[in-house]
Amino acid sequence: MKGRVFILLIVMFFGFSCRNSKSKTSEFVFPQSDSIPVSEAEKLSPEAIADISKNISSPVEIANLLQTLQVPFSQNYIAETIDANRQSTSFNKALKLGILGADLGYLNMYEKTGSSLDVLSSIRKIADDIKVGQFFDFESIKRLSKNRSNLDSLLFISVDSYNKIDTYLRSNDRGQLSALMIIGVWIEGQYLATQVVKQYPNKVLSDRIGEQKIILNDLLLLISPYCNRDPEFTNLCKDMQDIKDKYRDIRITYTQGDPVSVEKNGGLTIKQTETSVVNMSKDQLNGVIEITKNIRDRLISNN
Amino acid sequence: MKKIITTLTILFIFGFMAFGQVTDPLVSKCAINAGTNAKYLKDFRIQLGKAAIQSDLRYRANMSLWKNTKYRFTMCNADNSKGQLILTIKDDTNKLILSSFDKKTGKIYSFVDFECQRSGIYQISYDFTNGQQGSGVGVVSMIK
Repeated sequence: MKGRVFILLIVMFFGFSCRNSKSKTSEFVFPQSDSIPVSEAEKLSPEAIADISKNISSPVEIANLLQTLQVPFSQNYIAETIDANRQSTSFNKALKLGILGADLGYLNMYEKTGSSLDVLSSIRKIADDIKVGQFFDFESIKRLSKNRSNLDSLLFISVDSYNKIDTYLRSNDRGQLSALMIIGVWIEGQYLATQVVKQYPNKVLSDRIGEQKIILNDLLLLISPYCNRDPEFTNLCKDMQDIKDKYRDIRITYTQGDPVSVEKNGGLTIKQTETSVVNMSKDQLNGVIEITKNIRDRLISNN
Repeated sequence: MKKIITTLTILFIFGFMAFGQVTDPLVSKCAINAGTNAKYLKDFRIQLGKAAIQSDLRYRANMSLWKNTKYRFTMCNADNSKGQLILTIKDDTNKLILSSFDKKTGKIYSFVDFECQRSGIYQISYDFTNGQQGSGVGVVSMIK
């Protein structure tokens, strides 16, 4: 009896020790395994997948950051080589829809509405091809782009259209296209950020690039159920895994602090004092810049 | 003939409703309510019946929020809601970061600004006050 109590105490001690050390951990780490087994991803419920999709950044977040940092606009970052008429497979169409969506967000954010009309017509063609054109309010987007009247409304309608397509695809057993679109948006956003940081080194921007480690696993979870579907998916899964490998040694640590609240203009403002800190060497950043460019350039040239 | 026309009209109206894909007016209204220079990111449409027992907020979603970004969370109620839409945000360690409902004073804020300094995946929860029945929209925007 005494022996059992002793063992129980030891088990409890180690149990609590592990839990405590986990809760005190102040570093973001990838889950143990190097890749997500397909069987595990397949177990995800539609709700879990919807949740992951909602999680991923919107096409305008990186563009907004670039504008906030007063980075000059460059047409060179846009995926102009994408020919909407030459996309032969649903895979290519959905992926390009995502890439062009991120470009549209970038153009709209910088009010380059003339160029955005070209991107918009490619989006329209591709969206119609995969039968999601009805979710794009093209006429309103075009009107707002031409008038340059209301940027907020333009951004709302554009982003809302993408959100609707994503929801529709997932609820109609075309989740693979939704995953491709989300990955397309992310890769293009990542391309924008990495190209800009190469030209205009900036700590805030390089931190944002490093912090993408936080959602990389979710992106892989989204695409994992389709990795064995066909060679196109297999290659994309490998690309995403290669990006993840480049992030393996980038560290994200956290400093502790409690949020501070202030009441202002009838609303509440919460300022977070806890911070995330990215520890990324120049070589690590260069590795991410290089792999992102290689993968993105290959994807957009694959018409 | 009259019957055929009526049937066709009904089919047309329902067809339009089903495939027209017009943005929910409450969502657009709520996005506008977020204010000028608030850049829309996402919306959460919440429809809940009366809670059997009052516990944690019932509608939950995850969202990545990024350091050095100011977010505005705006809550809007549909006219037929019995309760008011409230929000809480917790970080990935389950630590409460903000609540739009002040338990001490009973005050409910229709929007909350959040100056994020810790990038991560946050749990965003919504419910209606006192677990009441209601429908509403939570809009997330970026502000300067």
